[in-house]
Amino acid sequence: MIRFESVEYVYPNGVKALDGIDLEIGDGEIVAIMGENGAGKTTLIKHLNGLLKPVKGRVLIDGVDTRNVTVASLSKKVGIVFQNPDDMFFSESVWEEVAFALRNFGYDEEVVRRRVENAINFMDLAGYADKSPFTLSGGEKKRLALAIVLAWSPDIIALDEPTIGQDMLQKEKLLQVIKLLNSQGKTVIISSHDVEFIADLKPRIVLMKRGRVVADGDAEEIFLNEELLRSCNLLPPQLITLSKRLDFIGIKPRLYPPRELAAEIMTRFRR
Amino acid sequence: MATILQGLQFYPGDSFIHRLDPRAKLLISTTFLLITLIYVEVTVTTIIVAAEAFLAAISGTMRRWIKTVYGSIPFIAAVFLMNYLVRMLIPGQPPTQIILYESFAAAYRLIALLASFSIFFLTTTPEEIGMTLTKLRIPYMYVFAFISAIRFTPILAEELQTIMDSQRSRGLELDKGNPLTRLRRYIPILVPLIVNVLRRSYELAEAMEVKCFGASKKRTYLKELKLRPKDLVVMVLALTSIATSIYFKFISPIKIP
Repeated sequence: MIRFESVEYVYPNGVKALDGIDLEIGDGEIVAIMGENGAGKTTLIKHLNGLLKPVKGRVLIDGVDTRNVTVASLSKKVGIVFQNPDDMFFSESVWEEVAFALRNFGYDEEVVRRRVENAINFMDLAGYADKSPFTLSGGEKKRLALAIVLAWSPDIIALDEPTIGQDMLQKEKLLQVIKLLNSQGKTVIISSHDVEFIADLKPRIVLMKRGRVVADGDAEEIFLNEELLRSCNLLPPQLITLSKRLDFIGIKPRLYPPRELAAEIMTRFRR
Repeated sequence: MATILQGLQFYPGDSFIHRLDPRAKLLISTTFLLITLIYVEVTVTTIIVAAEAFLAAISGTMRRWIKTVYGSIPFIAAVFLMNYLVRMLIPGQPPTQIILYESFAAAYRLIALLASFSIFFLTTTPEEIGMTLTKLRIPYMYVFAFISAIRFTPILAEELQTIMDSQRSRGLELDKGNPLTRLRRYIPILVPLIVNVLRRSYELAEAMEVKCFGASKKRTYLKELKLRPKDLVVMVLALTSIATSIYFKFISPIKIP
C-alpha cells in the first residue's frame, strides 16, 4: 500500500512541484499518473523510493515513512524504470548491467545468475547478454532498463514515460509485460501522457496539474471528460472521440476495445 | 560537484554588478585572482573573500555564491590535508603549528580563487562572455567551445543528478565504505555521464555543421559591448588595487601581517 499524505515538494530553485498530494494506491493496482509536462509526475514517482523526501506531509510505503529509510532499502520494494535508459548504463555487457543491482542488494552469485537469466529471457534480450548496452537500439535499451528492475522483482514497479521513443510493436510488448506483472500481483505505476497507450491498459488514472491531483478515477470516466483532459493539455483517445462522433447512429460514448467498437458499428449498419 | 556547477551558471538579475560591462567584471575577478596569488597572508585572503562576499551580496547572488564555496569544501579539505601531510613527512620543517597555519592559508586561498570567478559567471550571460572573449581577440571557434561548455553546465548538473538517482534506485550507496570503496562506487555515475557528454558533443557538432558554422570569418553582433563611465571607474579601481598590491608586496618596506 502506497499512501501520500498532504505531500508538498519544493525544488532547490524554488519551484513547487507537488502541492498537497493526497493519494492512496492499493496492492496490485495499475495506476497511470497523467498530466502535462511539468505537472509533477516524475517528482511524484521519485518520492516512491525516497529519492526525494517531502518538505511537508509524508509518503508511506507499506506503512514505512520514506523519510526514515535509505533509498537502497526502499528500492528493494519499489523499482523505478527511468525515462532515459542511457542515464543508467555503465557495464561492459547486458548481463553485467542486470547483475549490478542484484549485487548491490546482496544476493548470492548463484541467485544473481539465475535472476539475470530470467530477466533477460523475459525481456527478449538473451541474444544480447554479452553485448555492450551502448550498442543496443532505443527499444532494446528500454527493454534492458525494465529487465534491470524486474531482476530483483520489486512489489511496486514505477515506469516513468515508458513509451517515449517506442514503436507500436514495442508498445504492444510493453503492454503485455505490464499486464503480466499485474497478474503476478505487482503494483504498476506508469507516468505518461501517451493517452492511446493508457487507453489500451484501462487503468485507474490520476490526473495531475501544476503539482496537484485534479482528478482520480477509472480510465473511461477520465477520458470521457474532454474539458478536464484539455485543461491538462491532453486529448481523449481516438476510440473515445470516434464513439462520441458515432452518437448519431446510437453508439454510446465510452472507451470501447477496438474490436467491440467495430462490432457495434457493423451491427448498426446491418440493421 | 553539482553544487559547484550551479555556482558557474548565470543567475538573472538587474543589480549594479549585472549591468556592468562584462570586461569590467572580468577585470574585477582577475584582480581578486592576482591579489590572491601574490599574497599568502591570511589577512589579505580574508579581505579578498570579504570583498567577494560584498559583491555577491549586492548582486543578489549570495546564496549561489555560498553554494560554490560550500561545494568546493571537499577539494579545499584535500588541499589542506595534502599540504599538511606532505610537509610533515619532509624533514627540517618548522613546528607543527606553523605547518598547520600555512596549510590552512593555502586552503583558504583556494576558496578565494574559486569564489572570485563565481561572481563573474553568476552575473554574466554566456553571450556576454563570448563577446568579451571575442573582443580580447580570441578566435571565435575557441570562444564558441568555451561558451558552449558554460551553457551546458546546467544541463550537465541536471544530468548528473538524474544519473545519481538512477543508480541509487539500483541500490548503489555512495556514502558507505572506506574512501577507496566510495571512489570506486562513482564509476557507475561517471561512465554514463561521460558517454552522455560525448554523445551530446557529437550532436552539437553535427547541428553546428548543418548551420554552416565557420563559413563566415567575420562575425557581427546584435548588441555591441560599450564601456560606460561607471565601467571605466570600476576598471580604474581594479587596476589601482593590482598596482597597490604589487607595491606593498615587492617595493614598500611595510609588510602586511
